[in-house]
Amino acid sequence: MAARTARAQEKKVNPDLVAKALAKSVLDGDIVNFRLLLRPFSPARVDTTERFETEKYAYLLPDPEMEGRADFQRCLDSVRRPETWAHIQRELAANRPAQLPSDLLIALGDNAVRAGKYTSAAQAYELLRIRRRMQEEYFRQAEQALDDGDVPKAVLGYRIATGLGYNYAAFPEPLPVVPEFQTRALMLHGDYPEDPAATIGMQAPDVFMRTALGYLLLDAEASARLEERPLAIRLEFLKELVRQQDPEWTAFTARYRETVALMQQFGEQMLSAGGRNGKTGTLADEIEAQRRDDPRRIPEHLLGRAIENGEWWQYLKDLAYCHPAAALFVARQAIGDLEILVPRCAADSPAARALGLVDG
Amino acid sequence: MAQDEDNGYVNYFEILNLDETAKPGEVRNAYRRKMKDLVHEIAQVEITEERRTHYLLEIAKLNASFYVLRDNDLRNAYWTERNRLIALEKQWSDAVAAGRTDTDQLRREFDSGVRDFLAKYLEEAMLDAGRDRDCVEASNWNAAHERHAYRILRHYRQSLYQKILERLPYYEVTLPVVDWDERRAAVAAIMATRKAG
Repeated sequence: MAARTARAQEKKVNPDLVAKALAKSVLDGDIVNFRLLLRPFSPARVDTTERFETEKYAYLLPDPEMEGRADFQRCLDSVRRPETWAHIQRELAANRPAQLPSDLLIALGDNAVRAGKYTSAAQAYELLRIRRRMQEEYFRQAEQALDDGDVPKAVLGYRIATGLGYNYAAFPEPLPVVPEFQTRALMLHGDYPEDPAATIGMQAPDVFMRTALGYLLLDAEASARLEERPLAIRLEFLKELVRQQDPEWTAFTARYRETVALMQQFGEQMLSAGGRNGKTGTLADEIEAQRRDDPRRIPEHLLGRAIENGEWWQYLKDLAYCHPAAALFVARQAIGDLEILVPRCAADSPAARALGLVDG
Repeated sequence: MAQDEDNGYVNYFEILNLDETAKPGEVRNAYRRKMKDLVHEIAQVEITEERRTHYLLEIAKLNASFYVLRDNDLRNAYWTERNRLIALEKQWSDAVAAGRTDTDQLRREFDSGVRDFLAKYLEEAMLDAGRDRDCVEASNWNAAHERHAYRILRHYRQSLYQKILERLPYYEVTLPVVDWDERRAAVAAIMATRKAG
């Protein structure tokens, strides 16, 4: 304890580094680093043994390229504004958790939204108690954009607004909503569809759109806002939403179509399998026939890679993680003792057509 | 039933439309009448995910109202604690408004009090009530309801906590100066920039 106090007594904190580190966290929209800099164990405090000069805190400081940027200088100027800087110094000197400067927190929240770090923005706005109103403002402007026919802007507004959501049921404390599509997809496919017509991809267009938008927007209330819009607008919205969420969607559609063809081929092979019984061939022929007849190559092809001993749900989780919307166009299928994930959607599904999964 | 959440401190008397002097018999009658109406209402509608959440919460609120108010000791403890917190909230807010700097102790006392109150008289009381014989009989509450209710009640408790928190003096951050015209313009600018990007 004495040694620690002695070390702390020798410590000098360079105020320039404190200001730069705070400015960087504001510019990055990084609420974690921002709070860390003002916590009781922060390297910015004189009474701790932590130092900016050590390698482990290098990530808190801007690199020369960032320091030369105009937006960084603006953040630095905000940090150095006399009343803000005086407050920061006062809080760093006090022996208690710091009260965060709200002007910097507003800027941090906005920068976080710009950078797509919605959970960080949600935390900043929540601390300022403006999260719900900011969320509502994004919804309002998104709906305005939809009225004006600007679908990409509307989708962006909806994505930001839902990204600012908070889960008050999180344990032990509320947390920002995170897009856990890999978990949500499992919930979508929790029950085995005894009737193939009951699978999501086969639902009537209106029902499908409700399911799809609720799942992709992570928020049933947000998707309910769109329900009054004509189906064509919602389809356009869905298409744009998938495009913005998943830049690799086109590659997936190609695999999806190939997998549909593979399934047809597999079905035909099953039918002709009886004809092969009793016929002898080389070992290589036998192995090749077995490989062709293995239904596991269907989910493998859909995902684009094999999961060793992969169950249907493992494929679903990976698929939903890589391509969230893919979970809406697949179904569980039992083949003997095996259960696999297969592509399934109505041939005349407007959504599947709009997303390039079927011809039309 | 809508006014119970006005100040965030759940008011079980308002949920049952009773005044604070209501006798246990009146509590029982009011509870049974309200529960009967609610069960009838539930039977009339198609149950969606949203409605299930809503109705589970409504049932849990009625059950907890009955459970807390029918027992004189529990009822007195609940009402005393509720009034103490309301007074403490006012005391803290007034102290901050008067510019006093020694308000941290008040804040801590209030914060831990309000968390305890909501955990005990809201979440725990609602779950305990669901296991009470009278409540089970009137509401058909079962283990499956309880499983669903954990998440719903936690959400409800935190929502009320946030509701209380939002009108309290700022302590984690300095008082923000929010100009909503500027915020609207900022939202528009962000959406325009992101779109262009």
